[in-house]
Amino acid sequence: MEQTIHQKAIRKDNPVLSTIFRVIIYIMLLALAVFTLIPFVWMISSSLKLDREVFAYPMKWIPETFHWENYRLIWQKVPLLTYFKNTAIIAVVVTFLQTLTSSFAAYAFAKLEFKGRDTLFLCYIATIAVPWQAYMLPQFIMMRSMGLYDTLWAMVVLQAFSAFGVFLMRQFYRGIPTELCEAARIDGLSEYGIWARIMLPLSTAAIATLVIFTFVSTWNDYMGPMIYLTRDVNKTIQVGLRRFIQENSSDYHLIMAASLCSLLPVSVMFLALQRYFIEGIATSGLKG
Amino acid sequence: MKKTLALTLAAMLLISCVSFASAEATQTLTVVTWDATTTPYLIAQKEAYEASHPGVVIEYVDVASQDYPIKSTTMLEGNDTSDIYMVKELDDIIKWQSQGFAEPLNAYVEKTGYDLSGFVGTEVNYSVDGELYAVPFRSDFWVLYYNKDLFDKAGQPYPTNDMTWDEYADLALKMTGDGVYGTHYHTWLSAVANWTVADGVNTLADKNYDDLLYFYQLYQKLEDAGACMAYAELKASGLHYSAAFANGNIAMMPMGYWYVSTLINYNKEGTCNFNWGIAAVPHAEGVKAGSSFGNLTGAMINAKSANKDLAWDYISWLGGEEGAAATASVGARPAYVSETVAAAMAAVDGFPTDDTSKGALIPSFVGMEWPVAEKVADIKTIVNEEHSNIMAREITPEEGIEEMNERVAELFQ
Amino acid sequence: MKTDEKRARVKMGKLARKNTLIAYSFLAPNFLGFAIFTLVPVICAIALSFFEWNGGDISRLRFVGLENYATIFNVKKIAEKGLGYFFSRVDLGIALKNTVTYTLITVPLTIVCALALAMLLNKIRGAVVFRAVFFFPYVASMVAICVCWSFMLMKDGPVNQIIMALGGTFNKSWTADSTMAIWSIILVSVWRNMGYYMVIYLAALQGVPRELTEAATVDGANKWQQFTHVTLPQLRPTTFFVSIMMIISCFKIYDVVAIMTDGGPGRSTKMLVTYIYDEAFTKIRYGQASAISMVLLVIVLAITIIQFSSEKKFSND
Repeated sequence: MEQTIHQKAIRKDNPVLSTIFRVIIYIMLLALAVFTLIPFVWMISSSLKLDREVFAYPMKWIPETFHWENYRLIWQKVPLLTYFKNTAIIAVVVTFLQTLTSSFAAYAFAKLEFKGRDTLFLCYIATIAVPWQAYMLPQFIMMRSMGLYDTLWAMVVLQAFSAFGVFLMRQFYRGIPTELCEAARIDGLSEYGIWARIMLPLSTAAIATLVIFTFVSTWNDYMGPMIYLTRDVNKTIQVGLRRFIQENSSDYHLIMAASLCSLLPVSVMFLALQRYFIEGIATSGLKG
Repeated sequence: MKKTLALTLAAMLLISCVSFASAEATQTLTVVTWDATTTPYLIAQKEAYEASHPGVVIEYVDVASQDYPIKSTTMLEGNDTSDIYMVKELDDIIKWQSQGFAEPLNAYVEKTGYDLSGFVGTEVNYSVDGELYAVPFRSDFWVLYYNKDLFDKAGQPYPTNDMTWDEYADLALKMTGDGVYGTHYHTWLSAVANWTVADGVNTLADKNYDDLLYFYQLYQKLEDAGACMAYAELKASGLHYSAAFANGNIAMMPMGYWYVSTLINYNKEGTCNFNWGIAAVPHAEGVKAGSSFGNLTGAMINAKSANKDLAWDYISWLGGEEGAAATASVGARPAYVSETVAAAMAAVDGFPTDDTSKGALIPSFVGMEWPVAEKVADIKTIVNEEHSNIMAREITPEEGIEEMNERVAELFQ
Repeated sequence: MKTDEKRARVKMGKLARKNTLIAYSFLAPNFLGFAIFTLVPVICAIALSFFEWNGGDISRLRFVGLENYATIFNVKKIAEKGLGYFFSRVDLGIALKNTVTYTLITVPLTIVCALALAMLLNKIRGAVVFRAVFFFPYVASMVAICVCWSFMLMKDGPVNQIIMALGGTFNKSWTADSTMAIWSIILVSVWRNMGYYMVIYLAALQGVPRELTEAATVDGANKWQQFTHVTLPQLRPTTFFVSIMMIISCFKIYDVVAIMTDGGPGRSTKMLVTYIYDEAFTKIRYGQASAISMVLLVIVLAITIIQFSSEKKFSND
């Protein structure tokens, strides 16, 4: 105890030490950032090379000549714009439905008492645990008989009701003090009112998280669209990317260019939403 | 005046009738296949058939090649009604037949008097208990590609159509140096050790893999001498053989015939600009020169198709002489063999003009890469797993072959 | 008195029933979709593990009881040669061993990295940029990432060069080495997912009341004590969530393996899901594939239940 007070005294009294501390943190962060970004640098450099230069050895970080035309080629070689459009539609609809229904259901799981709650919740978790490959076939046969095969709706219903969102929101709602709900109930708010006026505003950080994750995972989903979408007009970007890998050739430079392009919308999404991680409960003045 | 009017009217009527009739007669055949937009022979086949069969439209359902097994299976399981499925691997048709997805074809063959002799017996691979389930239209066998410019520069003789594997290895070693690799092995089992089936006796399902040892040792000798790129590096970089050979620093490369059309295209696009040729793959001591192995590509009629007769018309055309001509016109090798077809193959613009290359077009024997056999899918997994172990030098070839023998034996216990 | 009690009970019952109805109305939108499109197929898959089905018509289903399980566990051989045989020779045993190894290393490593990043980035200048940077890998397309990393981990690639510079002696492509192959997959997974879980932690950190940390500071706790005694306990529901999600997703690892090592060399990176995939789609044995999935399901469910009960215990404290 004495020692800690001592340390604290040092830190308070010694601005040099605390500056050094900060500098160390920044150096660590920078090192980690470099580690994180190096593969992307390689991707960018590859996207500006010729196919056979991509794996040429020894590796060159800066291409001999910059092949900017790769970024034009990707739009010409495959209908990338259609793929973008489809992916965007699916991602937006899924994200909206997922967030809405999940936060609704999560409220019941986190704050309401009812019969069979735990069993039902375990059902949700259990399905997360089953690999999709295992039930893909029954699911496919069912969806087909509903006439959803090769429609964008197939991807929507497939992903909009995932158990993951419910689980995530429930965990966040559990962190919100139950006293708040009880106080509201005494004030005469209905359960729907509590959800809309108390839980939702308090969980902006959680909702932002869910929105980002749903959007990203829908955007990057590969297996689902691969199985369910067949005609070119319905395909998504990730499936479209595969068209650059052929049986007898593979255009890795174009894959890199196209996947860098597909990175853009999601990054924008993230940048737009990330401020909600800073705001959130901390600034709303409500605490347990 | 009246006459002209009547004539015009009649003509207009006629035109509208014709256009109406043709509009009504337009039928669409859906064909499930892979890489449809970029595979030259698929484009050529579609164009040729539509030109000679007005009123029929071929519509490809395009699947990425590496997704084909899973996607086609799911589609069939889900009662898809596409008319025709192309058969990528030999055991696909056996699988689909046993599941009842493939329409039996003997009745159609009889009804239309279809001549199967042009397939020189390969159609047996698509038959189960004497019933035909698919028509082969492409038959690829392996040949040896070589870079003529590199050989000219090194002053070495070109590979011939009659070389043993030892002679080939010597040549590869001689060609190595100055940044040139004497040969190139893609990471597949087929590129390294499948040669054992070229003798017409061995198959990869015969439960004994001792005969693979020679080829693994040969490979390791070449790798140690730096005569080919190391497997570990190839696997890690995912370097594709097409790009590797096109780079221009590889003297020889055994690869499937399908690569011919890619190379022709590369030459046209300017992706690579050296002279190349093909030769028969080397043979083992005591095996006839020109022996190789290969694979079939075919088409089957979906049992749930609503246009079976039209579908038969298409696949029988595809396999027959006219379809073969279309397939050959872009450098792919049709399953149907005839003088005309061979001539068409050699006449393709961009195909090497030397006699060795032309001679390599007619192999003396073509074994099947993988035979149709009991539990062949399991055997494939095992042999491929041990192959990767041997090639990455995690175990010696002897140990790996021992593993193959043991694990395959366990399968049949 | 008695009637009062009765009335109270009736009232309670009515209230409970009303509450249940309200709860169900909250659940309904999600549950309907979930039940139709996920739960029913999953139940079908469970049932399928007791059948032999090689695809095709439903009428080809044949009930085989536990036979699929006996086959994948190779029960006869285990009885004969013991468990060591199972984990060194049988496909399922090897896949299980690899998957568990991968999970045991990846989960703690990712959590530590994610939490550390979140703590470092919580209330720091320039955090906006760093947050985006660390989240980037999660967004990028899997194919591109894996191709890229395979290349970085090659024999003379940058990673090995760094190792050499630090005095290491490893000089082989990671993905082609049976001990390092699994590490290459771990590395890519951690690299890709740490930003993702960092974001969850960042969101959760907003829920830690500032008064608590402030109070701890007043009590003389240093930063580390603040972290272990205040922040960490407050983050427990999140850590619970993150660890369950990670364990599940680790057990389901597929795409990185499929692209980078294809299960090799040999069987050194064969995982449960690659095995399921192979059984289902190249060998068309849906029954056996479902049985393997059930093994996976049971393991994950067991872990989840254990974690759940500990979560309950903690939240009751």
